[in-house]
Amino acid sequence: MTTATLETSSLAQQLAGKHLTFVLGREHYGLPVLKVREIIRLCEITPVPQMPDYIKGVLNLRGKIIPVADLRVKFRLSRIENTDLTCIVVVQVTLPDNTKTMMGLIVDAVEEVVTLTAAEIEPTPDFGAALHADYILGMAKVKGSVKALLDIDRVVAAVHPDDLEFSK
Amino acid sequence: MPNSNVQIAPQFRELLGRFCLELAVVEAGKDHGLLPINSFVIEITDLCASAAVPEPLRVATTALRGWIDHLFDTTAVFDEATIALLSRWHEWMETAITALERGSALPALPSEFGPAVAAAPEKADAVPAPAADETEPVLVVNVGADGELLAEFINESQEHLTNIENGVLVLEDDPANADTLNTIFRAFHTFKGGSGFLNLLPIQALAHELESLLDAARQHKLAISSPIIDVILEGGDVLKQFTTQILAQLNSHGAGQPILVPTSALIARVRAILADPAAPVAAVPKADAAPEPAPATHDDFAAGFTVVPAHEKPAAETAKPAAAGASAAGFVKVDTNKLDALIDLVGELVISESMVVQDPELLKSASRNLARNLGQLRRITSELQRTAMSLRMVPIKATFQKMNRLVRDLAAKQGKQVQLVLGGEDTELDRNIVEELSDPLVHMIRNAADHGVEAPAARIAKGKPGLGTIHLRAFHRGGNIVIQIQDDGNGLAKEKLLAKAQDKGLVKPGQTLSDKEIYDLIFAPGFSTAEKVTDISGRGVGMDVVRRNIEKLRGKVDIDTVLGGGTTFTIYLPLTLAIIDGMIVSVGSERYIIPTLTVRESFRPRAEMLSTVHERGEMVNVRGKLCPLLRLHQYFDQASKITEPTDGIVVVVESGNQTRCLLVDELIGKQEVVIKSLGGALKKNPSLAGGAVLGDGRVGLILNVDALVKLQHTLPLAA
Repeated sequence: MTTATLETSSLAQQLAGKHLTFVLGREHYGLPVLKVREIIRLCEITPVPQMPDYIKGVLNLRGKIIPVADLRVKFRLSRIENTDLTCIVVVQVTLPDNTKTMMGLIVDAVEEVVTLTAAEIEPTPDFGAALHADYILGMAKVKGSVKALLDIDRVVAAVHPDDLEFSK
Repeated sequence: MPNSNVQIAPQFRELLGRFCLELAVVEAGKDHGLLPINSFVIEITDLCASAAVPEPLRVATTALRGWIDHLFDTTAVFDEATIALLSRWHEWMETAITALERGSALPALPSEFGPAVAAAPEKADAVPAPAADETEPVLVVNVGADGELLAEFINESQEHLTNIENGVLVLEDDPANADTLNTIFRAFHTFKGGSGFLNLLPIQALAHELESLLDAARQHKLAISSPIIDVILEGGDVLKQFTTQILAQLNSHGAGQPILVPTSALIARVRAILADPAAPVAAVPKADAAPEPAPATHDDFAAGFTVVPAHEKPAAETAKPAAAGASAAGFVKVDTNKLDALIDLVGELVISESMVVQDPELLKSASRNLARNLGQLRRITSELQRTAMSLRMVPIKATFQKMNRLVRDLAAKQGKQVQLVLGGEDTELDRNIVEELSDPLVHMIRNAADHGVEAPAARIAKGKPGLGTIHLRAFHRGGNIVIQIQDDGNGLAKEKLLAKAQDKGLVKPGQTLSDKEIYDLIFAPGFSTAEKVTDISGRGVGMDVVRRNIEKLRGKVDIDTVLGGGTTFTIYLPLTLAIIDGMIVSVGSERYIIPTLTVRESFRPRAEMLSTVHERGEMVNVRGKLCPLLRLHQYFDQASKITEPTDGIVVVVESGNQTRCLLVDELIGKQEVVIKSLGGALKKNPSLAGGAVLGDGRVGLILNVDALVKLQHTLPLAA
């Protein structure tokens, strides 16, 4: 057994568990269900000026003001119109300074909560220079589709999409 | 013994060097250097307690402690006799240390340093050290004057006592637990502070000794053993007896009677432990605890030990402990996060309620029953909102009453006659504001008493009564809390201020300033008008800090002065930190909130009021003063139908002494809004101070006027 496979298998062990899967365009993503606080309909969002373009603004979640990020813009995917299925996943994230905060993520549709086993998870392939994807923890193959498992803390901590490539 | 002598000598020498330096600046009739000398005395006493110090040195140090304590208890200024005494003490100490270093015999201890005559230049009863006191100190509380402060003290004490007891139990199992040691130390320390403030001397003395004991343990000079734990527990019990009795008096069981709880035996035990940690601490102490007991010292120690042991309760202690629970149970300590969550939810409830009540479907219904029920719902929600808001509010009384003492002490120290007249003490403010306000208030009251009010002779010469008056009042005005500090002193001299400002380069020669601008100079950093710098105030670090603190609370401070007639400072504060009075404006499709306190005026400009520099820098002529214009829609990069200032509204905002005109589409209204943080992810945006949920449930953004006014680049940032 080489050290590489040892590392990957322990990573897969860590990632195994319940994940919420969602759709952005034609791609499927997943994030640990323990991070998810709730899922709400797309509601009116107050734009905040002078923010990176993927920050859509803020919304009022029962008296708490939380920022909302559009993951489609964040990952630089092609634009599509909002539909009835578009919704906001409210997650609790840990910022680099160790404070916990709530944040809304706009996704095209929420799929389901799946239980992933270590066997279903593979390490992220090396995309080379085309894509620095170190915020993708691993890839899961479930029911014939591939889902990218996100390190959501890393995704929101980077202020600008470009920063993602420089983070660590 | 000789070895240890060599070790301690350099330490003594270093301390003495510092003492000598401090002694050089001491003047009769002043208190310069008293605090440094006091800290020196504490250190040297510690040194005596921790190391094996020859008896004469120890005795001399005790005598010194007594003199300094006496100073604190009486005038708190030096007099000639004391200074001479201190110099002689220093001289003798130097020779003694030199002798110690050479290993030769110590010089004879002058009689004036001996404990029997420790208070030689003073009256014999001056030395407060309880060990030297045959009689137990008696505590008399002034329930009438200090009632509320005492109640607060007792309330806090309950918590500290619990901390002490719980902590000691932990220490029994784990004597080296640093956290617990710190907790207990802090508890005693707070006890000492509080009792000192209320002049509860016996409590203070005991708490002080126990604090020193724990401090030694904290610094690993002393290992916690079971006798020490016993002493701490007993100390806690004695403090509890005090609080129980004070509480009983507060509840008027024999008010005004002196409270007698024996402390000196316990204090003596604590000192014995500190002096010689290894010696067994028995209930019957050994008189030869000190290595070479001079006869006088022997008496000293014996006096401390022969009193009744603390656990034998004297007849005077008859208070019913049952009364203890009564007043303490009136409060519940609640986590502020829970409180904030509750207030948030109540705010949402009010919004949902108004959305339901105004729902068109419901309005169509003609049911009288429904209308009645909705009315009831509205009443309940608004009552609930009021109650929720008041949860954070406390009266400002306690803060004001502390000023009373401050003024009394200052006046006595400076030979002035000053009275403080309080008004509106029951005005309620957000708890956070009250806490933050205390320091600025202390500063301003000091200033008023120190620089404002003149000495009696000067006042009478001006035809004013010799007794100066400082008014301190709080009241509501236009949705704000106003706090006013008004003295009838000398007022500010415009010319002097201006000359000084030019001197310091704050104002360029030839620059003309309005009266208000001149008075505002006192808030400039590094500006002090007092001709004489005193230790109380006048070092020029005061007023700019005051203004900064008040602006941090989203308030502002104004100054109004009449030369010869006095000065009035007026502080405007928001009702709570959580709510601001905001002006809601629209820019394009968005709504922004501008804190009303920062808005000076708003108007629709006429074309002739506008001018530009280089076709870029725009200015508005506001009644003869030019004020830079910031087009919000441009700055925020927002589509807006209104691009010409003459079609929109200009809002003049100010922060500090800078102003700026903000161009908005229209004014929507004025509303009180609950400020909410935009969350960690958006905190970095400097132009926004936060967000607020508006009446329709949507979020409005609150502008950070301070940042907008100071903005360098008024064009949209390339994001």
